[in-house]
Amino acid sequence: MNQLFVKIRNSKAARHVFLFLAVMGPGIITANVDNDAGGIATYSMAGAHFGYTLLWSLIPITIALIIVQEMCARMAVATGKGLADLIRENYGVKVTFYMMLTLFFVNLSNAMAEFAGIAVSLEIFHISKFISVPISAFFVWMLVVKGTYKSVEKIFLFACLFYVAYVISGFIAKPDWSDVLKQTVTPSFNWTLDYTVMLVGLVGTTIAPWMQFYLQSSIVEKGVTIEEYRHLRIDVVAGCIIAPIIAFFIVVACAATMFHAGITIESAQDAALALKPLAGNYASWLFAFGLFNASIFAASVLPLSTAYSICEGLGWDAGVDKRFEEAPQFFWLYAAMIIIGAGVVLLPNFPLFKVMYFSQVGNGVLLPFILIYMLRLINNKDIMGEFVNSKGLNIIAWVTVFIIITLTLIMVGFTVFLPGKAL
Amino acid sequence: MKLFTYLSELLGRKVYFENKQYAGKVCDISMRLNEAVFPMAEYFIIQKGVFKKQYAKIYLNVIKRVGYRIKLNIDRSKMEYSKDSIRPEFSLCFDILDQQVVDMNDQKVVRVNDVHLMMVDRQLYLAHVDVGLRGLIRRLEWTGFVDFIVKLFAPEAKYLKQEELISWKNTHVLTLGRTKNVIRSDIVRNRLAKIPAAELADIMEDLDVFDKLSLFKTFSVDLQRKVFADMAIQEKEELVDHLGDREAGDLLENIPADEATDLLHNLPKEKTKQLMRFMHSKTSKKLRMLLGYAQDTAGGLMTTEYLYLGADALVKDAIQKIKDNVDYPGNLFHIYIVDEKHALKGITSLRHFINKDPSRPLMEACYPSDVFVRLDDGMEEVALLLEKYKFSSIPVLDEYGILQGAITSDDVMEELITLTWKKYKDQI
Repeated sequence: MNQLFVKIRNSKAARHVFLFLAVMGPGIITANVDNDAGGIATYSMAGAHFGYTLLWSLIPITIALIIVQEMCARMAVATGKGLADLIRENYGVKVTFYMMLTLFFVNLSNAMAEFAGIAVSLEIFHISKFISVPISAFFVWMLVVKGTYKSVEKIFLFACLFYVAYVISGFIAKPDWSDVLKQTVTPSFNWTLDYTVMLVGLVGTTIAPWMQFYLQSSIVEKGVTIEEYRHLRIDVVAGCIIAPIIAFFIVVACAATMFHAGITIESAQDAALALKPLAGNYASWLFAFGLFNASIFAASVLPLSTAYSICEGLGWDAGVDKRFEEAPQFFWLYAAMIIIGAGVVLLPNFPLFKVMYFSQVGNGVLLPFILIYMLRLINNKDIMGEFVNSKGLNIIAWVTVFIIITLTLIMVGFTVFLPGKAL
Repeated sequence: MKLFTYLSELLGRKVYFENKQYAGKVCDISMRLNEAVFPMAEYFIIQKGVFKKQYAKIYLNVIKRVGYRIKLNIDRSKMEYSKDSIRPEFSLCFDILDQQVVDMNDQKVVRVNDVHLMMVDRQLYLAHVDVGLRGLIRRLEWTGFVDFIVKLFAPEAKYLKQEELISWKNTHVLTLGRTKNVIRSDIVRNRLAKIPAAELADIMEDLDVFDKLSLFKTFSVDLQRKVFADMAIQEKEELVDHLGDREAGDLLENIPADEATDLLHNLPKEKTKQLMRFMHSKTSKKLRMLLGYAQDTAGGLMTTEYLYLGADALVKDAIQKIKDNVDYPGNLFHIYIVDEKHALKGITSLRHFINKDPSRPLMEACYPSDVFVRLDDGMEEVALLLEKYKFSSIPVLDEYGILQGAITSDDVMEELITLTWKKYKDQI
């Protein structure tokens, strides 16, 4: 028995597994946080309104996500700096400042959406939002203020496991698997306005500006070295595959039930409620629980990521292990995100819908800039050394970024001119 | 022109020839690469055109007046434009502005919002870097607006008066990234060499690990070695842990073997193995041997770096040996005399042979060779012997009388201090 252990310990494969476990985290967490309250709402609506016909889009979305996230990870490892740092150092303070200003408001409205997600998901379990939201806000504050990067990362990785709730509810919904499979691999495109809006919405919700900042900073903070990069890449790619798989099951769960029953929904909690008569209590509860988990997870990450990026870009001290006097801007930003984010949810008649509208536009305006800066940075030999994009990858990356930007701009167009449809 | 000016105020300023023809606008300033405390500007870089950009250097002696507009005392025919952008070796925009610097006084890493320049005798000097909020707002060109608002609501606000300037003397520019070993300009490296290593180690102590790493990478190999030696053991471990394996391996190779062993003792086995792969086989073999001994025995304490000569060596050979090894990390004052089997025959010190006739055999200027310890002797014994004979180092022999290494008193001291501390703490 002992010999077996020694054998396992000395084997090459085991070494790779251990090395992977050591660097695992940033990629998987970032991609999973991406399935936040807004994401789940979008996927639910995609399933409920268009059945399985949008499933195919998840495959190109996955590829685009991998390409973008891998570049971020590579920049983090090669430069040891966050994205905001690099943009500041290479494109100056003005660009950085306005970018960070937009990022703050966009992320703030996202944080509001997350706290709203917490409120509505727990209301399904008959918990008043006046209890759930303050407790969650307090939890988020303590988690980061009392935690270290390592402990927080473990909690986040643990939270990733709960996304399995959606996989189970996908199965409970009893979809016609052969149809699901067929629709996943055969792109069906119809040019109706609603369908296009939803398709663009899927892309927009999956590739968001904050992710690039968060992924890069968390890799830097983790201190991943160049030698460990191979293993980190597995983490990043795994995350980019897992997240769309979860999205896939959300679409399937909603398509198999609501689409067939002809029910239209407007939000994620509509979806959870609609599942009750169609697929039973358990499916509904799992769906609501998944929403709660996703919302509180994202509500923990967003304020932190925002405060970090802004302080990075503007040259202020940052870090959860600092005292308030050492990093006042950091703690102010962090507190503002949580207090405003959670506070507005408790206001009666707060126009959350309008805020989300703003956030969509802000995201859409910000993303092209970030992606273009990323591509220019990653091709800069002064910064990246031998880690610049290869020629082939560069062509793929530029094409991907071009498509994402086009779709994002279309979404901004939809949001501005057809506000009723785009959300 | 004012005595002091900000870089942000000079950038974008329009430049005109003597005949009032437009020459371009300032886009960067190149600084002289010398070791002066405050670097001097060498030339301005100007740029003109929108689609077809052209660049030119203006040396300070052709500048007639720096005012709202910059006037030159030459005309168009004397100026050469180039189509390629100019990238000087040491430029304010590329190397200083928006980069991170270490504030050596407050021991923290800050970002440069603006550069404070001093004009004396028609020369422009880099005096301070601005790391404050005012600098940030000046760069954003919001000073007027923000000042107005602040004055309206809080006329006494600290913001209005407080400039956060750090003297160039007390700053150190960080490298581009912690994974890259290149520093953007040599000037910063030269300046660093003047700060004592122990002081640098103190400065490093207060930085967080990533800043520590970026700072450490800007040091030359030699300085790295010195600073590393002055760091606390936990800090060393942290640093080795965060450096890449290759860099850590290189570093361990350059420090005395006993220090490297101490460090490796405290690292996980797996990491030790990794690091060994990046060292010369000779070093790693030596370290592996040292790692085999318990940390508190003579074998664990000793270093394998010591000076030795053959039994037929003359006094002048010994003097030459010391001269050749001034940079040697180990003990320089003792030379061991060994036979062809490396068995210890005699010990001598600089004090003993320095005044002897250079052409006499070294054996004549020797202590008796019966003061030594065995590989498995305890630390207390080593300490006692060192104290008894007032030696600064003592040889370590194996059971066959073969010289294996030497222990210096500071190595023992370090261990004893740690032990005493532990006991002291246990008592409380």
